[in-house]
Amino acid sequence: MSLAGHIRAESARLAALCTGCGGCVTACPMAPYAAGVEAAGPAAVAAGMLDVLRDGAGTPAALAWIAACTRSGICTPACPEGLDAAFMLRLAQWRAKGALGTPPLIPVREDTQYSPKVKAFARLTLTEEEQSRWL
Amino acid sequence: MAIAGEKAVFWYGCNMTRHGEVIRATTRLLEAVGVEAAPTGGPASCCGSPKDASARINEGMARRTIEAFNATGRQKVVTWCPSCHMNMRDSMAPVTPTNFETVHVTEVLHAGRERLRPLLTRPIPARVLLHGHLGFDGRVPVNTLVPDLLRLIPGLTVVEHPCRAPGHMCSSLAGVPGALADAQRATLAAMAEAGADTLCTIFHSCHRELVGLEQNHPVTVVNWIHLLAASAGIAAEDGYKAMRNAADPRAALGEAAIAAVGEVPFGRLVEPELRKAPPV
Repeated sequence: MSLAGHIRAESARLAALCTGCGGCVTACPMAPYAAGVEAAGPAAVAAGMLDVLRDGAGTPAALAWIAACTRSGICTPACPEGLDAAFMLRLAQWRAKGALGTPPLIPVREDTQYSPKVKAFARLTLTEEEQSRWL
Repeated sequence: MAIAGEKAVFWYGCNMTRHGEVIRATTRLLEAVGVEAAPTGGPASCCGSPKDASARINEGMARRTIEAFNATGRQKVVTWCPSCHMNMRDSMAPVTPTNFETVHVTEVLHAGRERLRPLLTRPIPARVLLHGHLGFDGRVPVNTLVPDLLRLIPGLTVVEHPCRAPGHMCSSLAGVPGALADAQRATLAAMAEAGADTLCTIFHSCHRELVGLEQNHPVTVVNWIHLLAASAGIAAEDGYKAMRNAADPRAALGEAAIAAVGEVPFGRLVEPELRKAPPV
């Protein structure tokens, strides 16, 4: 299976099981950092997230919440259905970033200098021998 | 200190290249508990997450990493980075078959703590608050395992406080306006409430973001590996903190170190981070 296939399959599986109660949104410590989440309410935000998992465009509040996810993970024990809500958010974030080839729905902050930076710091902290063996 | 034992890969991740001494010391501590772990990391061993906006590229990077691990024949991969660990379970292994088990370094050292105990002889008189996050602890109980290990160090007190930062490590918070500064303010308040003089980070990105607190606050920031290493007599000077908190990073590093990076890459890739003002 490809990663895209894995994302699609897991999105469909979890979206089918989720009741959209919004318990994950209520538990989320990052919700205060996501514009419009409080006004929209937990159930509406969860519905928007489910829409993203089903190939939809979501809602502004749901997209703000998805973008603010930092993998705190406490949404998972908060889910009354026992679903891995944190993984649902991970799936939603992949989709919202355009991982499946569709235009991104949320800002994508990709550091194009990520790898060069990792290597530059390695030259400061690792010996040449360590760099050749460990990188 | 080495005890012949199980061979493993120590997958330290990408951004740990800022902390060479932590990689070295962790490798020696793993040896001490009977795990001969070959350090592996950097862009060639990427989990794929820097390319989350493309499943195709993410998958390619992750597959290359798993195939390299499979080719070692080592049946255990010891992770450091919580992102790498979660991605291995969530998106890498389900897509590319693995012939190894994945365990976190805290689990391995905690399981071997009776081997570590007699090595931790040097007292460290400090009142330590753990910098814990809410995330990842549900996968691997790092917020319990690390304090358990720290309590093996003579003279060290781990203070109790319920403060936990959102996210799984500080790099995730850095991308959300206001979140990192809020978490740092809460951490400083927790230290004051608990009477802690030392803040102990678990993960590299937290360490990277938090060592700057020493510039403006009367606290000491160390990583848990620094503490274990110091008590065991393993040399592990915090090189990143030294360059991050230097008044002039260029002068602190010296011409030879800058030349090793290259003048242009140093100015473009390294210096801005070292001169960045701490959030609080």
